[in-house]
Amino acid sequence: MFKNPKNKKNLKWLLIAGGSLLLIGLVVYFYFATLSHDDTASLKSDYIVEAIPFIKEFEKDHKAANKKYAEKIITVKGIVTSIEPADTTMNIKMVDAATGSYLIFAFQDQHMAEAKKLKPGEDVLIKGSCSDGIYSEILGTYFISFKRSTVEKINSLTNK
Amino acid sequence: MKKIILSLMIATVSMMAFGQKKTSTSATVAFDATTAIDDLAKAENKTGIAAIDPSKNTVQFEASIKNFAFSNPKIQEHFNQKSWLNSDEFPKATFSGVITNPSAVNFNKDGTYNVNVEGDLTIKGKTQKVKTPATIIVAGKALKTNASFNIKLADFGVEGQPITAGKVSAEPKISVSAELN
Repeated sequence: MFKNPKNKKNLKWLLIAGGSLLLIGLVVYFYFATLSHDDTASLKSDYIVEAIPFIKEFEKDHKAANKKYAEKIITVKGIVTSIEPADTTMNIKMVDAATGSYLIFAFQDQHMAEAKKLKPGEDVLIKGSCSDGIYSEILGTYFISFKRSTVEKINSLTNK
Repeated sequence: MKKIILSLMIATVSMMAFGQKKTSTSATVAFDATTAIDDLAKAENKTGIAAIDPSKNTVQFEASIKNFAFSNPKIQEHFNQKSWLNSDEFPKATFSGVITNPSAVNFNKDGTYNVNVEGDLTIKGKTQKVKTPATIIVAGKALKTNASFNIKLADFGVEGQPITAGKVSAEPKISVSAELN
């Protein structure tokens, strides 16, 4: 079929190039397919904030607050208002009693156990990925959602 | 006579108590667009807002698009980008509907009830009618509800190569569950 040695050589290079491209494609595919989020506990916070003033920023100008905080890693210091079941997991809420607006934290799987130990009234530091702050037509308040959260610290004074 | 008045008052108060809107701020909304060749396109949002008003038979949901948590950060990025859900411009998905067979549920009696819900689902600024069966569990003063239905992404202006390539389902399943108080 390939009596001409030049054609044989071309075929050899074609096979090598095709194989290499296939290999690169597979490596790239598996790289992206197996990506996962870092453990939030290992990430540096972009901002460290107090819960109530943080909520007020969204109430004052949610567009500016979203531009500043959305998809950023944020550590929030505040009082746990409630713990809510969410399917098989749970969320922590910090509510501004004056307006009803609130922060809500969904936890990373590996940090769910420590979050489940929290109790209403505890003063805590929670670090998570701030999704955004949105006005709820249903509740008439702002809600600021966090995902992949972790408990950084529970204030020992409030644990006594 | 006093007993009758007292009974009527108790009945009225209990009906008023259950006539009030029940809400949840930890409703779970699951999005599953996985296919036989790719199982990455699925996510959950555990901070949805849900409300059922027994006196009006209304059902409402709201969920932040950015708070759908995917296991793969790249897929999450694609989900939110302008050509997909464009969450910067359209930050939330909403549903507003009614129970179309209200006689099928007794909010004053504990039990599991199968109802039909019909309403408007808005995603990416586009609104479509949705009809779905749902289950409502009445347990004391609390309600638990869940429903699953499929949507057509194209109806909401979501199209792209991953759908045509079969890596993302063109008709993902949406599952909603909530415990309302």
